[in-house]
Amino acid sequence: MRNFAARLIAHEAASAPSDSGASAAFAVSERMGTHLTTLMGSGGHRALLMRTLVLAGAEVPWLRDTRVTVNGTLEGPDPADDSIDPNDLTEGGVVLIAQMIGLLVAFIGERLTLQLVHEVWPKLPASDLNFKI
Amino acid sequence: MKKRNAAAKRKASPAHASESAKVAIRQLPTGVRGLDEILGGGIPEFSFNIIAGTPGCGKTTLAHQIVFANATIQKPALYFTVLGEPAMKMLRYQQQFSFFDESKLGKSIRLFNLADVVMDQDLDAVLAEIIKQVTDISPGIVVVDSFRTVVRKMANGASEVALQSFIQRLAQFLTSWEATTFLVGEYAEAEIRDNPLFTIADGLLWLWQVTERNAVVRKMQIMKLRGQASVPGLHTIRISDDGMQAFPRTLGLTGKKPRPGRRRRLSTGIPELDAMMGGGILEGDSLLVAGPSGTGKSALATHFIDEGLRQGESAIMALFEERPEGYAERARGFGLDLKKPQATGKLEMLYLRPLDLSVDETMQAILDAIERTGARRLVIDSLVGFEMALAPGFRADFRESLYRMIGALTGAGVTILSTVEVEDSFQAMPLSHYAISFLTDDILRMRYVEIDGQIRKVMMVVKMRGGNHSKDIREYVITNRGVVVIGPRQTDYTGLTTGIPTRVGKREESSPEPKATK
Repeated sequence: MRNFAARLIAHEAASAPSDSGASAAFAVSERMGTHLTTLMGSGGHRALLMRTLVLAGAEVPWLRDTRVTVNGTLEGPDPADDSIDPNDLTEGGVVLIAQMIGLLVAFIGERLTLQLVHEVWPKLPASDLNFKI
Repeated sequence: MKKRNAAAKRKASPAHASESAKVAIRQLPTGVRGLDEILGGGIPEFSFNIIAGTPGCGKTTLAHQIVFANATIQKPALYFTVLGEPAMKMLRYQQQFSFFDESKLGKSIRLFNLADVVMDQDLDAVLAEIIKQVTDISPGIVVVDSFRTVVRKMANGASEVALQSFIQRLAQFLTSWEATTFLVGEYAEAEIRDNPLFTIADGLLWLWQVTERNAVVRKMQIMKLRGQASVPGLHTIRISDDGMQAFPRTLGLTGKKPRPGRRRRLSTGIPELDAMMGGGILEGDSLLVAGPSGTGKSALATHFIDEGLRQGESAIMALFEERPEGYAERARGFGLDLKKPQATGKLEMLYLRPLDLSVDETMQAILDAIERTGARRLVIDSLVGFEMALAPGFRADFRESLYRMIGALTGAGVTILSTVEVEDSFQAMPLSHYAISFLTDDILRMRYVEIDGQIRKVMMVVKMRGGNHSKDIREYVITNRGVVVIGPRQTDYTGLTTGIPTRVGKREESSPEPKATK
């Protein structure tokens, strides 16, 4: 799942460059959020994000200070805060997206999750739409 | 004469024009087996429908089946979820059904959550959001699930007129956009009279889930359907891995061809019995074999089926008491092979014993088997077991449904042999305590009699609607050749039908089966 998350973040970063690994992961979350809100409503989407943060925060300390805004976006560490290692930011972003995708898989299964991802990123290469690589 | 014809043509032409100008309403398939027949062909296109019922009776499943059966990329379905089941949960559960085709999601089936608008805004905003989505997508099908939650939330702040206006505008808009609409909701029957929704709707499909004793029974009624004749009354529905299936009260038999005018006599496989019946059972008759336990009703049914198989006919045995393996094994003891024809598909032995069956779905299983095999002979063994296999709530309908099925099948030329167990009384000879003899064309009664210190068996043809029959009471035995009918002289008695006869002839013959001497 982490490889898949990393590919997704890389794909998003390539189309919209961001200043850190965390920002790219947040961008992935935001783009998915637009689609998920249509399906789940804003309340459902926020609940999914909060659960994702709890699960990912257990592994990544800096995510414990990340919050879900009323708009369903993530408010994370201050970009000016250089106390967090950039590698940890990148790695944390991958864990975050992996947990989010993992939750979706748990709810609706692999096939529908991949279909949903494909709808959000239609240009993502078909070879990348695979959880096993 | 010519002038008169021309005038007649002119007179007829306006009527002809109005006939051809009548709008043809296309009917959409529901994707639910049996439901299209109940609806009178399908859902009228562009109609505005309500799927109502109590929680858990299958409303969402029905809506999904309709959506998956009709949604295409060109004419997608737009499914609005509101405060009931969120889309994610819906996807989680509905994908378990075989009709769920995930490739349709996204392009052919669009899910849209209306909850935020419903929660935060008013009826106008809800209508505006629906109009926006429908205008963008131009769907062929629109579902709002649950519409009840939309109305309930809005009704708190809106007047009845505003609510009625909202429903009216919604219906007009969706119909104008050539969408067939389904509003799903949990309603109580008491609301039908006062709720404006039910007045505006073109179609009203009502679903029930009722617990009767230990069984759960699901039923459906088409309370309203504008523009076409639906089948009235309550119809059984069942939800399985394949989704919903409906069992029309007509059992899908309305279009069956009538049996030919001139009918053959079919052999029962027991020549002496054929002779008693005037040459055999008339093709397309329903024969009731009544008798107490152990008199050989099933053995006789086996002969009947075996004879048909020998003649190259296919056959169905619907078994409600004995398992098919045991049945086939006992037949083998009579030298009759039921296993090989099963392997070749000429014979199907249906073992139907679940205790919550509806009579209509049991009959549907039989009808499906008849359709598959092209069977001309059917055995139902036994009617008592059949009734016991039904959920208690359906037993009251048993005779009525059986009457419909037997009537339709025999009408189509299938010959039916049903067995029924009756208790032997030594004062009387009941034919069946089920009072089902009206279902049958022919009745064969088997019973025990006491003769010379032995319990022996006799049979008699009580009724044959299609012709004359022997009035003799004939003794028979069950041997390793099956049912063997013995010559008439063995029943030189009077009072046989009481079970305690008196000899009227000379005691010349010996007992058909050896009597113990020690």
